[in-house]
Amino acid sequence: MEHEDRNAELDSWLVAYRDACPEPEPSVNFMPELWAKIEARQISTNLFGRMAKALVTAALAATVILGMISTIGSQPDSSFTGTYLEALSVDQATTLEPFNLDRVSELEQQ
Amino acid sequence: MLVDFELILSAQRGDASAFNQIVSAYRRRILGTISRLIGRPEDVEDVAQEVFVRLYFSLEQLRTPGVFEPWLYRLTVNACYDYLRKSKRRLESRMADLSEQQVMMADAVAGSRAQSDDAEKRRVRDTVNGMLSSVSEEDRVLLTMKEVEGLSLKELEKIYGVNENALKVRLFRARQRVLKNMKEVTQRPPASAKPEEAQ
Repeated sequence: MEHEDRNAELDSWLVAYRDACPEPEPSVNFMPELWAKIEARQISTNLFGRMAKALVTAALAATVILGMISTIGSQPDSSFTGTYLEALSVDQATTLEPFNLDRVSELEQQ
Repeated sequence: MLVDFELILSAQRGDASAFNQIVSAYRRRILGTISRLIGRPEDVEDVAQEVFVRLYFSLEQLRTPGVFEPWLYRLTVNACYDYLRKSKRRLESRMADLSEQQVMMADAVAGSRAQSDDAEKRRVRDTVNGMLSSVSEEDRVLLTMKEVEGLSLKELEKIYGVNENALKVRLFRARQRVLKNMKEVTQRPPASAKPEEAQ
């Protein structure tokens, strides 16, 4: 019961609030001020757009330049003209050791 | 709808006079809604202009004539949220800077201003604003749209883009919080009378 009373009281406050809030009439400056705000926003939007475009262009240019630099830097040495097997044997020559029979026999003994 | 879709299409193509006609058709309604949503008549026009600025820059996104009004309401609701958030922050920082005596003087100045205004209406506005301060800006706006503006749940569903049940739950919770706060607010010294007694 008390809950219903409180709900009814709140409803009456809200109805009174609606009546207490004035129905504002737009002032004579409403439209000129609105257009001034629109123009100000347009200017800032355009400025931001131009800055964003410049930034994107600069980023693209930097990407292209860095791409070119990395491509040139990582190109393989083209002076060697032998076959693939020859190139592989040259590359591995320093790391390959002669086959060590002693070490194999040691393994067999274990 | 207060305007033809043809007029909206013209405004979308950049016709300034078409846009002016749309603003002229809706501005009184929007001003009234904002007045009730934010409860501060002095700032209503500023917020309404912000709504129409947002409308101008997003008008090209509109494809269906049927959603124009709910969409305009959505812009209005969002502009009111932003205003309420900012004004809450402003008020908090202003009050934090003032001494107790300064706050009392500010209240006294506001009180004398109220005398020149329609004092009773102002009292009702202040009391309801006090009650609604117990809920978030979002809930305050939702509750006002439903209970003061008189929008149906179907209309709110279109504006908020959420289903009716979710809205009902949120409205119920907001109302409960306001009810809890109502007793305290209405028992404060100048606002002790019920609204019926004030009229």
